[in-house]
Amino acid sequence: MTEQAFRFGRARHLIGIAGLPETAPDAIGVIVLNSGLVHRVGPFRLAVDMTRRLNTLGYPTLRFDFSTVGDSGASGESQSRLQQICADADDAMELLHQHAGCTRFVLVGLCSGAQNAHTVACVDGKVAGAVFMDGYAYRTLGFKIRHYLPRLLDPTRWWRRLTRSRAKTERSGSEPVFSTVPSPQAVVRADFSGMVERGMKLCLIYSGGINTYFNHAHQFRECFGRVMAHPAVSTRYLKEMDHTFVLVDDRKRLIEHIEAWLRRNFPVAHAGSSP
Amino acid sequence: MTMRTEAELPFFFGDRNELFGIYHAAAPTVGKAVLLCAPLGQDQIRCHRLYRQLAHALAMEGIPALRFDYYGCGDSMGASAEVRWDRCIRDTVTAANELRARSGIDRVVAFGARLGGSMALAASAAARLADVVVWDPVVDGHAYVAKLDAMQEALRQDTHRFIKPRPAELAGEQWLGFAVNPELRKQISGLGSGWEATPSLLLDSLPPTIAHPWKALAVDDASITLLQPPTPWDDLARLEVAILSHPLVQTVTAYLRAPRP
Repeated sequence: MTEQAFRFGRARHLIGIAGLPETAPDAIGVIVLNSGLVHRVGPFRLAVDMTRRLNTLGYPTLRFDFSTVGDSGASGESQSRLQQICADADDAMELLHQHAGCTRFVLVGLCSGAQNAHTVACVDGKVAGAVFMDGYAYRTLGFKIRHYLPRLLDPTRWWRRLTRSRAKTERSGSEPVFSTVPSPQAVVRADFSGMVERGMKLCLIYSGGINTYFNHAHQFRECFGRVMAHPAVSTRYLKEMDHTFVLVDDRKRLIEHIEAWLRRNFPVAHAGSSP
Repeated sequence: MTMRTEAELPFFFGDRNELFGIYHAAAPTVGKAVLLCAPLGQDQIRCHRLYRQLAHALAMEGIPALRFDYYGCGDSMGASAEVRWDRCIRDTVTAANELRARSGIDRVVAFGARLGGSMALAASAAARLADVVVWDPVVDGHAYVAKLDAMQEALRQDTHRFIKPRPAELAGEQWLGFAVNPELRKQISGLGSGWEATPSLLLDSLPPTIAHPWKALAVDDASITLLQPPTPWDDLARLEVAILSHPLVQTVTAYLRAPRP
């Protein structure tokens, strides 16, 4: 198996690394998207470890930088960010089509990467599956009960609250926050239903690192309804892990989970093997 | 800053094409090319954007530059647990020769932040570097290892990151997100004396509250430039925040474009 570096895209503005194992031309291509502003290697090299593991199983992969992120430049077009994301993802799929023959793809995204994967999956029929890690989530009634009730009943918390200094910690507000308004819950719920109706397979993996707005496996259904119980949807709550999977063993477990989901839903037929 | 992305070429090079690099081409006007030596671990990811900005700025001044990943780092082959100091030095030599071949310029100057600066100094003779510019290099390896161990211990207990502290056995043999093999640990711990090269420019942005052990590098005060504000290299709360510094880019670019003997 080899990896190849590419400059590609409609304006040759994107940089990516493709892993191109020997596989049948109809193999599913796996594309790993940027997590926030971290370049294509991912947090703590998660995307590198993941794509190389998937390559050994026969999946062609691409980890790349969206326009103006990491090593990629701007396309020079006058487009909204969402239009750029969709066009960049289309360029990425075209690259894997050219070099591995892929016509169907799984998108993998963490945090903003999950939101970008969601955006593309809604509109691009070539996307057959998606892995959303710490993607969209909403504070449900169940979340609030699980979050606040133990705190209300904990006398030590009341004592700390009554006695602690008014001084804010450095974490609370000293850093600028750049964020976009998330899609409304009803829209995201309808999006998921639409993806499943189109035959897509979905894998949602949420971590304890987002416990300020997601704190239990039940919350998948609380947020998005019955579609989360559909056989095409897999959900997993990794309570003990953090948002970017900083520990080596956590990343290993995460990759094993994604690998098992892919093998169940998109088994690889190796080149030359009989159907 | 105008981005000349078309002039950036990503490629694999070296033995068995194991190393990844991005060459920033330029019409040479200064007679030198710059090798950008990355730090290791999370510092490399935090500095990625700044290194790209610096490479762009250098190329705009007519100085070709090469960014590259050591074996086991970034997009290069190998696992994080396979990173070795001696291999990194060999990779630096390979990268310097690759830069010479691509630019047609024999005079290669290296820049490095933190362990990347230490690496450039350690590889200076073998890589035939004409000059080295460093930014907060790691000079006392033993103290650096102790600091990373302490940060790793604090990280596993950080309840801003985890719902509850993680067991010590899950956090061992790694530093801030990256597996660390005993050999690399020993090699970094051994850094501290016998530096064979002296940087012509040392950019100092360490906080005033900690030691600035630059005497070990035999660098004179005139070669040290203070940068403000201090860089939060060792702040766990900023572990995943990019290191950016326009003063650094401007200072290094201005220094390297000036003609020197």
